Amino acid sequence: MTHAQTDTASADQPVTVGAGREKLDLWICWWVLPVFYTFFGLIFVLLAHVMPPPSPELSVSQILAFFHAHGTTIKVGFALLMGVIGLGSISNGLVAYQMKRMSVRPVFAYGYIATLAVGAIPGCLFCAIFFLVAVFRPDRNPHLIALSYDTALLTFVGSLGCFLANYCVFTLAVLLDKNRVFPRWLGYMGVWQIITELLAAPVFIFKKGPFAWNGAIAFYEGTVIFVVFLTCLILQVRKAIGNQPADELVPD
Amino acid sequence: MLPPASDPSRGDRPTFDAQSVSLWLAVVFGVFLLIAFILFPGFFPPMSPGMSASEVTKFYVRHSTMIRTSMIIFNLCGIMLLPFFMVIVYQMKRMATPTQVLGYCYLSAAATGATLFAIADLFWLIAAFRPDRDPQLIMLLNDLAWITFTAPVGMIIAQNLCLGLAVLLDSQPRPIFPRWVAYFSFGVALVMAPSVCAAVVQSGPLAWNGLVSFWLRIISYALFLVVMFFVLQSAIKRQRKEQPVSAITPGAVAAAR
Repeated sequence: MTHAQTDTASADQPVTVGAGREKLDLWICWWVLPVFYTFFGLIFVLLAHVMPPPSPELSVSQILAFFHAHGTTIKVGFALLMGVIGLGSISNGLVAYQMKRMSVRPVFAYGYIATLAVGAIPGCLFCAIFFLVAVFRPDRNPHLIALSYDTALLTFVGSLGCFLANYCVFTLAVLLDKNRVFPRWLGYMGVWQIITELLAAPVFIFKKGPFAWNGAIAFYEGTVIFVVFLTCLILQVRKAIGNQPADELVPD
Repeated sequence: MLPPASDPSRGDRPTFDAQSVSLWLAVVFGVFLLIAFILFPGFFPPMSPGMSASEVTKFYVRHSTMIRTSMIIFNLCGIMLLPFFMVIVYQMKRMATPTQVLGYCYLSAAATGATLFAIADLFWLIAAFRPDRDPQLIMLLNDLAWITFTAPVGMIIAQNLCLGLAVLLDSQPRPIFPRWVAYFSFGVALVMAPSVCAAVVQSGPLAWNGLVSFWLRIISYALFLVVMFFVLQSAIKRQRKEQPVSAITPGAVAAAR
């Protein structure tokens, strides 16, 4: 990350962006990506035990036992998420900015921002809020704790449309782009993401088997593809920033 | 999506461009929000997380009219502040930052953050809709409202970090916003951060009715909005003077090269 480090220019020097500051904001935003997704993994996998998800088949008393066993880490993890969730918006803005550099700009870029700004709430924050509410009062009516459990996990795994729209916009942009901001194969991976969202649709119907919210297809297949896609995306954004001429003027 | 810059054909006739209108909309609706804040019986003093289900229900029964009135005002007026945030986005995009990426990050965080406020308001209104519901259900809705209203400050933190960073990177002799705005915005983010604990503690300064999570969070953010109003107003005035027949975005960066 050689670009990001030097900061020698005086703030008050006229006209040009100071030497060593070229693309500094892009590099700072890029670093947010690995930081945010590290938090994300730490919170959802290790602390909150949402990934991999507990079973939809748990009885009410088993759900209470789940929250009893993991109450403390759920609190720590999701309270942390309340503070760092905004980093997701920063990575969202960065990807959208790179999309504005494409020959298809800027409609898909704005679509990318809008779909994820929507998706952040049902697809991520609702899970946290309902788990937090479930552990906030362990003496709450057990059926309401079970309702919070279902709401949290169904919104988390099942906010399909927000992300479906997001991947469609992204995939179309990458495949139609003549400037090759991202390689075509990243667009084809986007197609996989689209299929993944479609395959997760039955989580609202099945309580066991591959299509349940903790199933081999609805959860594991989707998550593996997501992690591979995300890793590629982060690396390709880095490459795109590196390839971007410092004086490139991105039209509004 | 962004408010258009002052119409070039109108020269520098000031007053009714999108930016000024957006600022004054925020003032008008800010007053409504202040009234709603004062009217909501659950804020003076803020309801304690320690209340039992039957106490919470009694509260909704006793105050149902005022809860509905104040929360309907919140419902109608809360999101009316978004044009104000879009003026910030537009001014960020005029800055001589290396690129305009931070404006988009800010916009994304502002949209999600505002939605959270809208949802919290709905939970309060749903709880007040049938106060004769099972007290356990009223308490669940009340918990959802308070936690959604108080704890997810991450969006505001991200907004203020982006704003502050953009101000610091704005490399022109007279930056769009003065430098202190950066440190002010970092400071507000820092002060609001501990409110995340409101989702997990039930008493003390960090609880949702506590000194830090309630009063400090709300007062510091209200102060931030007031200060930004004046900062934006002077930035807009200067913009009118300097680019009367606008050479608009990417503004300063383009001019600089």
